Order: sequence, then C-alpha cells, then structure tokens
Amino acid sequence: MAEVKLTNVKKQYDNGFVAVHDFNLEIKDKEFIVLVGPSGCGKSTTLRMIAGLEDISGGEIMIGENVVNDMEPKDRDIAMVFQNYALYPHMSVYENIAFGLRLRRLPNDEIHKKVCEAAEILGITELLGRKPKQLSGGQRQRVAIGRAIVRIPKVFLMDEPLSNLDAKLRNQMRAEIILLREKIQTTFVYVTHDQTEAMTLGDRIVIMKDGYVMQVGTPQELFNHPANLFVAGFIGTPQMNFFDAKLTKDGGKYTAVVENAKIKLPDYICEALSKKGKLPDTVTLGARPENLILCADGTENAISAEIQVTEMMGSEIHIHAKTAAGKPVILRVQIADMTDEEQLELIKKKHFSFTVRERTVNIFDPGDGRNLAVENAAAVPQKAETPVNTDDLGKKKKKKDKKDKS
Amino acid sequence: MSKKKYTSKSGKERAVRIAIYIFLTVLCVIWLIPFVYLIFQAFRGESTSMVTYVFPKEWSFKNFIFLTEKTPFWHWYLNTLIIALFNAVLQSAIVLCVAYALSRMRFKGRKLLMNFMLVLGMFPGFLSMIATYFILKLFGLTSENAVPGLILIYAASSGMGYYIAKGFFDTIPKSLDEAARIDGASRARVFFRIIMPMAKPIIIYTIMMAFIAPWGDFMYASLITFGHEEAYNVAVGLYKWLDKEHISNYFTVFCAGGLLVSVPITALFMSLQKYYVEGVTGGAVKG
Repeated sequence: MAEVKLTNVKKQYDNGFVAVHDFNLEIKDKEFIVLVGPSGCGKSTTLRMIAGLEDISGGEIMIGENVVNDMEPKDRDIAMVFQNYALYPHMSVYENIAFGLRLRRLPNDEIHKKVCEAAEILGITELLGRKPKQLSGGQRQRVAIGRAIVRIPKVFLMDEPLSNLDAKLRNQMRAEIILLREKIQTTFVYVTHDQTEAMTLGDRIVIMKDGYVMQVGTPQELFNHPANLFVAGFIGTPQMNFFDAKLTKDGGKYTAVVENAKIKLPDYICEALSKKGKLPDTVTLGARPENLILCADGTENAISAEIQVTEMMGSEIHIHAKTAAGKPVILRVQIADMTDEEQLELIKKKHFSFTVRERTVNIFDPGDGRNLAVENAAAVPQKAETPVNTDDLGKKKKKKDKKDKS
Repeated sequence: MSKKKYTSKSGKERAVRIAIYIFLTVLCVIWLIPFVYLIFQAFRGESTSMVTYVFPKEWSFKNFIFLTEKTPFWHWYLNTLIIALFNAVLQSAIVLCVAYALSRMRFKGRKLLMNFMLVLGMFPGFLSMIATYFILKLFGLTSENAVPGLILIYAASSGMGYYIAKGFFDTIPKSLDEAARIDGASRARVFFRIIMPMAKPIIIYTIMMAFIAPWGDFMYASLITFGHEEAYNVAVGLYKWLDKEHISNYFTVFCAGGLLVSVPITALFMSLQKYYVEGVTGGAVKG
C-alpha cells in the first residue's frame, strides 16, 4: 500500500515518437485509478513505466517514498495482471501463484498458507493442481490475479485484464474486481479502453489522447463536466451531441441559441463565462442523448429533426436523426412508461421535436475544444502538435512494428 | 439427364498421383542403395577388397572383430564422441543464449549484428581453415592435441547459428518474461526457469545439430589432426583406409566402421524425432 506520484513523465522512443507527454498524477494510497483512452493514447505505456518494463525518457516516478526511475521491476514491490494472463504454462496453478514467493525465499509453510488464502479469496482452490491450459478464460484470469495478490504488493497494476473475456464473463469479473478491491485494500492502477469498466471501477479516471492527459477526475466529474470535446465524446454511450450555438448575454445570464431555440445556461456556467475575458462568437453546446427530451411540434425553444434510424434497445429507444440545420443528433428515450402502441408509434415517426434539459448542458470553445466552465481544462491536442512529421511517423511506426516482430 | 459421378478424384488426377508415387519410390530406392550396399559389405566374409557383386557369399562378423582387435577404430570413436558431446553442450548453451538475447533484448546495433552474422554465415567455413590452423597451432592445439582444438573450433562460431532458435523464442509471449521479472526473477532466472522448460523442442533440436556436425566432420578434423593417427576422428580414420594402398585389405572393414558410426546418430534421430520436427517447424508455423 503506497502512494504513486508521476511528475512530468515522458516517454520518447528512439525514432523520435513521443508516446507519453509530460504526465503528472498523484495516486493516493488505496486509490483505484483507471487510465482510459483509445488505442495508442499511451495508457499502457504509462502503466509499463510504473511497472519498470519501459524506460522513462524524462520525469520522475515515485512509489511510496522511493524514486523508482532506475529500479528493476522486481524491486518496486508491485504486481501486474496482463491482458493475456501471462501464466507460466509448464507450472501448475499452485506453482504459478507460489512462483513470486519462492523467489523471495519464503518458507514452504508460509508459501502454502498464502497460496491457499489467495486461492480461497478468488474461489480457485479446486484448480490448484491444474495446468493453465486446462482452465477457462475466466479461471485463468483469476489465477493471474491470484499470482498478483499473493505477494500483497504496494501497487497493483492491471493492463486490460478483462479484454480477452466474453461480454458476460467480463461483467462478472468486473464485479469480482470490485469485491477484491474491498478485500485487499491496496493501490490500483488499471488500464482499459472500455469506458464502462473505467466508470464502474475507478475512484478517479485519467483520460488520455495521443500521449496527453485530457482530464483526471471522478466518474461523475468526467460525465457531467467533461474538460473538453474529446472527453465529452469519449465518455457516455451513445456519445454526447454537439450543436453550434451563439452566445447571448442578458444581464449576468447567458443564453445559447441553437437553430433558433434559446437554451438558458445554468448558473455555474454563466459565472464561469462572466469571469472569462473574451468569449468566442460561436460555441459548441454539448448535450447527452438522455438529456434531449421529446416534445410536441411547435413547443417553445424546441428543435425539430428528421429521424433516420431508430434502435430498439429493450428498455429504451435510440433515435438517430438530423436537425433542420443538418446536424446529426441522437436521443435516448426511456420507454418503460409507454404502451406497446406508443412505442410503435415512436419507432414509425419521421419527424419529431425535442428540447434540451438546460441544467445538464456543457459549453465548449470550438477552437481548442476546452469546456469554458471547467477550470484549467486541457485543450484537445491537434495533429500538428506532434513533434514528428506525421508522414514520417507513419513510416517509422510501421518500421518499429516490423522491428518488434523480428 | 446424364448422371454425374461424384468421386473424390478424377481419372487424370489419379494417374498423376500414381506417377508421383512411382517417382518418389524410385528416388527412395536410389537413396537407400548405398546404405543397403554398406550393410551387405560390412557383413561380407569371403574377402576384404571391393567386389563387383552386392550380396555377400559368406555372412560374417569378421570385419567387426578385425575393427575392434586390429585397428585403433574405438580410439577414434572415443575421440569423436568426446568432441561431439562437448560440442553438444557448449554449442547448445551458446546458441540458446545468443538466440534468447537477440529475441528479447533491444540494444543498439542489434539488427546490424544479426545481418552481419547472417552474411558471415554464407561464406563457407573452409575459407578460414588455414588461419584457424595457425591460431590453434600457436596454442598447441593441433596434431596430437587436436581433440580440444576441434572442440574449440566447433564451439567458437556456434553463436552464428542462432536463427532457428531465435524464431522459436520469438513465438513465446514476452509478457511471460515480464510477469516473471515482476514476480522477482532476474533475466537469467527468467531464461532458465520460465523460457527453457517451454523450449524443449528447440533445445533438443539444437543439441542434436551440435552433436551431429562434429560427428561426421572430415575437413577440419583432417587438417587439424595433420596425420596424427591418435587424434583422428572416425571420418578421418576410416577415410585413410580408402587409400590405394589400404583399400584392398580394408574395404569391408571400412564398411563395418561406417555402419557403427551411423548407429548413435540413427538412434538419436529416431528417439527424438518428435521434438526434432517440432523444433524445425515451431518458428515457422506459430509466427
């Protein structure tokens, strides 16, 4: 159990490609941090740098009181669960779990006790005599977790541990990880590209893009107050709707005008906008699909749209449509209170109107993508900011992949 | 409507297949004739010189008895065995270590080194024979001391034959190494405790190749021993009996010796056939 501190951590490969830029994060003791982002955003690289499996090009990593930049992985007192489990195929489950303890020259009695305890926690006691190839995916994942928890490490690292499991098992294992976390009470750093995992598991989430940290916050903060357009689009399914809007000021209150519909902005946004010097003429208004409300045609401040596709999801319907201005929009309509006829009528509709739940909207600067109401929000990195020529980078990346394969 | 025959092979395909089998059978027979001839000559009792017929008129163990009692054959056999066993151990250790390092570690000049070794391996070994001879002579490892000299020669360049083993190691996921390193293992321990137990086929393949190469070597052994009979290996020793002056008295003895030389190699191949095939194809199919 320890704090982990990353200060200005940078990873640059020999070919000049920067995988992680100036990463700063303080992970509290016993905190569950999730690194999330699309492929190639640098989340796994960051985790591997904490583990000591990748060298650090710049900055400092501290685990507890120790700077671990040049420390071997075995000396960092960490444990890691890999995406492909990385179980030793020639050893039994028991030996897999005991391997780390044997290397630390613990007495056999103690090893046996610890292995049995870990197996008990994970419900794999009856599997201890088997070889990894005799186990199912879920069982293998449990063994991999067992191997990690048996040493009671200071920090527990997980690199997309559920990615290789089917959807049902993934849900089950996700719940088990939450329970495990209650039991073992240690610091977790968890990497995933799945936002559901990130939202359900993390005390705080770090969202990354192209090697930059986009936002660090609780799941609620990220969902309700995304720092920029990238975070807003990445978190939430279906993703947030974006509209071009014009800001008008009346006294201390701001109104966003979207296709003639006037949307009064909530007080905290108005305060934040008032504090800003110059505001852009046009802003991007973000509203989540569940915060667009169906209404009768002709309702005041309603936006009309033409339906393109409707998706029946069981308890809700997703309506994909285009507004009169040609902007794509998605609505998420709860249908629990609707009769079958009403649901059918909705699915068959061609046109509809909707209003926006005003207190839930976010306002972004369309230039750099920042949320105008979030302090110190990170700008969405532009491709041009990449220090290496992108054409060259493509070639170099391909070359690197080839090199790695060889 | 005419009925269409749904047979697995058409007549033409079947004829082509039969022709292929006949061709392969003929090839097999041609391939086997020297071995069969060798066996017949080894057991021929009526004379020791070369004859124009194949089947012996008198079956006998005379040649084997002569080989054991009147020639230094078993001494040469022992020399060869010592060289082959030492080489099997040294070469396997070197090849596996080099292959693992090149498969797992990334360092400056790695690619250049691999290409350099590949190109160097394309030159025939005998190009360096004279230089090698003089170097060994400086150390006193030629002539009667040729056995340690030959071990040194065979083992010295063995790291260059890392390619097949590297291909095999490349198929073992790197995350296993990483998991073991996080568990507390050093690089060496990862190699011996995690990778080696998983690399049985390639270990066996490497050992077999390292054993076989010096077992049948003639060129280097002939040069380094330089006429000193006590340091001969079986290939050099037996070949001497094919000289003009010896062939009439030693031909069938030569065949008996040849038969005995092939025994350990054949036994080795047959017992380890399964691993051998896995080792050769492992890198190719798991890619």
